[in-house]
Amino acid sequence: MAYQLHRISVLVVEDNQPMLDITKSLLITFGVGHVIGAQNGEVGYKRFCEYNNDIVIADWMMRPMDGISFTRLVRNDSKSPNPYVPIILMTGFSERRRVLQARDTGVTEFLVKPFNARELYKRLVQVIERPRQFVRSTDFFGPDRRRSRNASYKKYEGPRRRDNDFHNPETLKDIQEQQRKAHEILQRIRDEEGLDKSDRFDINSDSSGSEKEKE
Amino acid sequence: MTKDQFEDKNPPRHFSQPIKRKAEFIKPPNMLKAKVGSGGLSDEIIEKAQSLLQNNAIDFQPLADMYLGLMMEGINSANSEDHNHDGEVIIADMLYPAMQLKANGGMFNFPLVTSISDRLVQFLEVIEEADANAVEIVLAFHTTIRAVINGKITGNGGSHGTEILSALNKACVRYFEKHPENHNKTVQDYKTKF
Repeated sequence: MAYQLHRISVLVVEDNQPMLDITKSLLITFGVGHVIGAQNGEVGYKRFCEYNNDIVIADWMMRPMDGISFTRLVRNDSKSPNPYVPIILMTGFSERRRVLQARDTGVTEFLVKPFNARELYKRLVQVIERPRQFVRSTDFFGPDRRRSRNASYKKYEGPRRRDNDFHNPETLKDIQEQQRKAHEILQRIRDEEGLDKSDRFDINSDSSGSEKEKE
Repeated sequence: MTKDQFEDKNPPRHFSQPIKRKAEFIKPPNMLKAKVGSGGLSDEIIEKAQSLLQNNAIDFQPLADMYLGLMMEGINSANSEDHNHDGEVIIADMLYPAMQLKANGGMFNFPLVTSISDRLVQFLEVIEEADANAVEIVLAFHTTIRAVINGKITGNGGSHGTEILSALNKACVRYFEKHPENHNKTVQDYKTKF
């Protein structure tokens, strides 16, 4: 059993005609049913609204509208037929700050040019098999920027400091557990140093040890 | 344990801060997976696609000429003394064609163009101002890329290609040793990059 890629349509937005032709040819060789091309972000968005493609592959540097502005439009415009569509951004930039910039606009995957057939295939597999959950906050809408699987469900293990942590039975349990561990560590130190509960540590003293030791 | 046990007359500032950002997590249905099913693609199909990529008969020369022309315009603009652009725009005018050459060279069987342009992109990404010496270096890159394209040196250029890259790297290092103030420290360390 193999992927039934003939069932999907892919939009390729690229201003460089030879590059657009090559990318389209690769996708057709993979068996993609409908591959639609567009010369820039503006035309690309029109095509996307018309065809509601399953995957979008866009170049970064295009005029008059680049891949970043195109991505913002797809994610945030009220006319966008699918703000959750996976967007693979192609670019020659590979510097970290450029990748972060692209990520922060809502790009799903990043494909550095020049690429080979396997790298393009890997990005397709990534968006099919590991779709990212989406995050909506006051200043961002797009795929969850954290890479680890189920990152949002990972239990917080740091210190609990909010007022409402003391009213929530779950977090109160965490606080009690953290307290218990802290007492254990303190007791171990006391045992090792031969101190009892009445002893106090003088942290301002230059010499190490407790007041008891000084005496 | 109670909340009162934690309270202090002068609690630290980090205690009980209001939640700054409220985020809503949405899991859209995976329609894509439902459409394509599972199983991936066979190696045979991927190799077929790769051979199509390697054997494409697209002539890179006109495209390269266009980007080299744009780069020369950027160089001329940086050299002219009466320009009104700010420094970032001048650098961007040289960076854009360099990035395009890097991106497209390897796609059209000119990996040496990609390697050389990659170094140029790294150089342009870290300089803060396109001074005369920096523009000289960009011009050296331009001349080299032009020579590779005109000489139709497909592939990585062998030992000659390695020598060219090494010479260009050394030019960049010498530049930063002479002008450390023009290196954007927040981006990267040129000694580890070049």
